[in-house]
Amino acid sequence: MKVMLTTKILDANERIAEENKKMFKESGVYVVNLMSSPGAGKTSLLEKTIEAIKDKVRVGVIEGDITGTNDAERIDRLGVPVIQINTEGACHLDANMIANAAKELPLKDLDLLFIENVGNLVCPAEFKVGEDVKVMILSLTEGDDKPLKYPLMFQESSVLIINKIDLKDYLDVSIDKIKKDAQFLNPKIKIFEVSCKTGQGIDEWTNWLLTSIS
Amino acid sequence: MHEASIAYELLNIAVNECSKNGYSKIETIKVVIGRATGVVPQALLFAFNVLKEDTIAKNANLIIEEAPVKGFCKDCKNEFENDENYILFECPNCGSFSINLISGKELNIKEMEVS
Repeated sequence: MKVMLTTKILDANERIAEENKKMFKESGVYVVNLMSSPGAGKTSLLEKTIEAIKDKVRVGVIEGDITGTNDAERIDRLGVPVIQINTEGACHLDANMIANAAKELPLKDLDLLFIENVGNLVCPAEFKVGEDVKVMILSLTEGDDKPLKYPLMFQESSVLIINKIDLKDYLDVSIDKIKKDAQFLNPKIKIFEVSCKTGQGIDEWTNWLLTSIS
Repeated sequence: MHEASIAYELLNIAVNECSKNGYSKIETIKVVIGRATGVVPQALLFAFNVLKEDTIAKNANLIIEEAPVKGFCKDCKNEFENDENYILFECPNCGSFSINLISGKELNIKEMEVS
C-alpha cells in the first residue's frame, strides 16, 4: 500500500538547530556561523575581531576542525572562552555538535558567540546550527571565479568578507568581479574588504558586528 | 554535499514510519530533491543502496524526482526557471529583485510503497 509523507529529510538537524537558537536567544547571545575554504583566514579574522571588540562585548568561540587543537590554542591566547570540536573526519559542523559544545560554555556570561566551521566551501552551507547570521570569508588568493562555482555558500550567507586584500597587486584577481557575482547570487549580501595581515577594513566589519548585536 | 547522511536520514524516517504503523517491508521510497540543494541524485542513490542492506528497505527502490529551480516575480508576475543549480534573485524579464522562490530547495520524502 501507499503511504503519503511530507517529511523534510534534514528535519532532525533543523529541529536541533531551532532548539539551539532558542537557547542562545534566552541566554542573550548573538551567534555568528563563520564559514570559508581552508586557509581563507577564519581564525585570523577571529583574532583581529576579538582583539578589536573584547573590551566592548563578552565573546566566546566554538572551534570546529577535523582534528587538532591549533585554532583553539590561538583563540585561548586572547583570554576568551573557547571550546574545540573535533569532527573526526566530518566536513562540517551540525546542530547536535553545537548543542553539546554549548553546554561547556558560560552562555549567560556571553554577548557574542563565534562558531568557526570546518574549512569547506560546500557542506557547511547546508547545515543550520542555530546561528543568527552566516558569515563567509573568501580570500583573494582563491580566485574571482568562486562565487559562481560555489553558489550555495554565497546564497546562504548574509555577509561576505573578502580577505587578503593586501595581496591584490600581486594577483590576477578582480575584486569587482567577486562582488558583482556575489551580488548576482545574493543581492542582499553585505560585503566587507579586509586584510587580517594589515588590519585594513577590520573597523568597518567590527562596527557592523557591534551594531548587529545591540 | 551529504548524500550519505541524507540517505541515512531518509532511511531512518521511512523505517520509523513503518514500525509506528506496523509495516514490515518497504518496496519504494519516492523523494523530491530540489536542484538548488546541491544534492547529486546518482550519489544519493549509491549511498541509499549501500545503507539499505540489513533494514526492512533492503529490496526498496529509491525514486528521485528532481525539482527545477523556479522563481516568481512579484512585480511583473513572470514565472521563470533557471537551468543552473542556483537561485536567481533577479527577474530575467523585468530586472526586479522581488522574487519568491517557488521550487528548488526541496529535500523531502513524498511517499512510500509498503506492505
